[in-house]
Amino acid sequence: MIRQSEEVTLASILKSDYVFFLKGRPAKEEVVKLLTDGLYPQVSNFVTAKALYEKVTEVEKLNNVLETGFYIPHAKLAEIDRFYTALAIIPEGSLDPKSGITVRAALLLLTPNRPVFFQQHLNMLSKLSRLFQPAFMDSIVAMKDGVQVREAVAKHE
Amino acid sequence: MNPPSLRFKQVLVLSTAMLSFISFWKAASVVLCDMGSSAFYAGGIAMNAFGPAFPWYVLAVMLFSGLMLMVYVESCAMFVRGGVYKVVNEAMGHSMAKISVSSLMFDYMITGPVSSVAAGLYVSSLLYNIMPLMHINWHVPHKLFAVLFAVTVTAFFWRENIKGVEESTDKNFKIMGFVTLVGAVLIIWSLSTVYQRGFKLPPFDLKFTSESMGWMTNFPYLQTIGLVGIFMAFGHSILALSGLETLAQVYREIEDPKIKNLKRAAFTVFLFSLIFTGGLTFLASSIIPQDLIGGKYLDNLLSGLALELNGPYWARLVLQCFVVVSGSMMLVGAVNTSMVGSNGVLNRVAEDGILHDWFRHLHKKYGTTYRMINMVAIIQIIVIIISGGDIYLLGEAYAFGVLWSLVFKTLSLIILRFRDDMPRDWMFPFNIKVGKVYFPVGMSVVLLVLITASLVNLLTKRVATISGISFTIVFFSIFQISEYMNRKKAQLYMPDDDSEEKMNMRKEAEIANILPELDKARKILVPVRNPSNLVHLKSVLETTDDETTDIIVLAAKISKGIQLEGETGDMAPEDKDLFTSVILLAEKYGKPVKPMLVFSNDPFYSIAQVAHAAGVDEVVMGVSGTTGAEVQLERLAIAWGMLEKKDNAARSVMAKVVWEGRQLSYKL
Repeated sequence: MIRQSEEVTLASILKSDYVFFLKGRPAKEEVVKLLTDGLYPQVSNFVTAKALYEKVTEVEKLNNVLETGFYIPHAKLAEIDRFYTALAIIPEGSLDPKSGITVRAALLLLTPNRPVFFQQHLNMLSKLSRLFQPAFMDSIVAMKDGVQVREAVAKHE
Repeated sequence: MNPPSLRFKQVLVLSTAMLSFISFWKAASVVLCDMGSSAFYAGGIAMNAFGPAFPWYVLAVMLFSGLMLMVYVESCAMFVRGGVYKVVNEAMGHSMAKISVSSLMFDYMITGPVSSVAAGLYVSSLLYNIMPLMHINWHVPHKLFAVLFAVTVTAFFWRENIKGVEESTDKNFKIMGFVTLVGAVLIIWSLSTVYQRGFKLPPFDLKFTSESMGWMTNFPYLQTIGLVGIFMAFGHSILALSGLETLAQVYREIEDPKIKNLKRAAFTVFLFSLIFTGGLTFLASSIIPQDLIGGKYLDNLLSGLALELNGPYWARLVLQCFVVVSGSMMLVGAVNTSMVGSNGVLNRVAEDGILHDWFRHLHKKYGTTYRMINMVAIIQIIVIIISGGDIYLLGEAYAFGVLWSLVFKTLSLIILRFRDDMPRDWMFPFNIKVGKVYFPVGMSVVLLVLITASLVNLLTKRVATISGISFTIVFFSIFQISEYMNRKKAQLYMPDDDSEEKMNMRKEAEIANILPELDKARKILVPVRNPSNLVHLKSVLETTDDETTDIIVLAAKISKGIQLEGETGDMAPEDKDLFTSVILLAEKYGKPVKPMLVFSNDPFYSIAQVAHAAGVDEVVMGVSGTTGAEVQLERLAIAWGMLEKKDNAARSVMAKVVWEGRQLSYKL
């Protein structure tokens, strides 16, 4: 069965409070932990922090860092009924030892685990990889807060 | 700094000839260039063996060819690459397969000489008529000319095959078009002549010579049985059946719908053989005076037919020219087919380890199995010289291989009816269903006829029996010794890589270089990785109209580090396994595919890149046992997004993951 695409914008699901600027050069696992911990308050009614982290890390075993230096940890949760995101910006970069790529931005995406959302989930993944190109990341690592980042996302999306 | 770009450095494109498919017309023309050529000599040889009743038997053999073609259709429907060796091997095991291939090789060894000598005799008869008109008083003895002509033709194709010149189905098609035209003129003119002169059916009486009786003279009680005489005459005419094996060789190249086109090709071959070989032999017997058939036209019957028609001499001579030219083209083509066919069969058995690797040594410059070709050509030339241009002697030696390979093939198919109850796409008619088995009544009758004719031929065709059995024993021994040596070698070394499909790979630096070859309205990209997981490719081949759609089969080979920075690899054995499976599947459905191999450190990025560059409409993936369908779609979606430029209008592609009984489809 072919499901029709329904547009969901990143700007509509990314709240400025959930844009985190990480200092230093954290390991990839630390980035994932910081993102899940940071995003957790949004989904605390549906899932425990431990379960969320475990779910995300389970999916991450199969996930790759993109050559652009962007990283999209993501998971599908049956308990939620809309998309949730949190964005980590790492100005100094985080080295992924597996690929040798330096990660400068990572976006945690939680998607409702229902077939009707999967088309939107795919569209969102495509949109993220298209948006977070090196030039865009150059611009957001230089920004000061989440509000600016969210505006940039809305502008370039 | 991030590592080098993920973009792949090189694309390897598979350009093997097996990936383009031909119409049933072309397939029929390939078979007919071999089988139909017997029209030029079968009648004369049969006349020499048992007298003026020959047209009945040539016609009977042509009718019987219809039944044999049906046997071949069932065989091909079961095995895409289902020559005698494969089918006998499946049904009766290795040893019987070796014997059947040995006898088939004998057929090939005689097909070349009989065809080239026949062509030489036709050309010689034409020169005999033309040279006096040109005031050239130079007479070359027919048989000497035929030998020289045959050796020259064989040497020519020897060289061509060493150089690896591919047999062109287009060329066969054109030759058959020309032959059909000449044949049609000959038939119409003959019918007009018969109408004017009146028609008398050939006699039924059989007048065997002591030579054509062979050892049967030692069994006088058998001569009193009428049916034995009929089978003796049938056996002397059965050489008109040669060339059927070509249908099995060409089946893999027939386009979709495969079985339907195979049946069409078989029917075309049957109809042409019946009218051309059977009909013209019949007409020749009723138009040419009997003494001339047994005399000056014995070895060039159709030339004789042209010359004995009603009409001015110059017009008959012109027709003879056309008959000789078309006949020579066909007969000479049969020489090449015998060389290509025997080389193909030897390669096939060599792949199975029953021919020593020495024979498989490739030519330094042309990459052909020149030792096999040398062996075939040398044997053919020796046979030509020994025959001294005597077509009857060659005809006597002929048919041993044809008959016994047909016996083994038919018997094997009957055995497989009991051993393999998988549903057949097509079955020889007249079956009785007992439980799961369709008892092959019709095919058993065919086998009975074949076995009887073969046994009778053993007694009557002394030359065929002695030379055929000797040759079969020699070849069987070569196979046995080779197998023994290869087995010993296999215990010492790793398996030989050459046992794979012959792959012609072309290297391209850019995917853009390949795009002009993808010119159909729709395009589907089918990524492949595991030769045992091609369900998705099968689904695409089953449902796609290849007239309007290019099917690109992409293997993205994970290659990290140095290869991406500069070098790229070549095909590894596992890649060959994968593409062999792809080719076999494409052959099964008769639909062309464009196989490509790229080296990349992210297969999904490669898939997206090729899909994007080629403008494909669909990407159809097989499900991965490691990640699962959804993860595959996610990774493709991410890769697809990376390629989309913000300023460009977004392109969409349908992404599918297909596995047994299920599929996921999403638009990216």
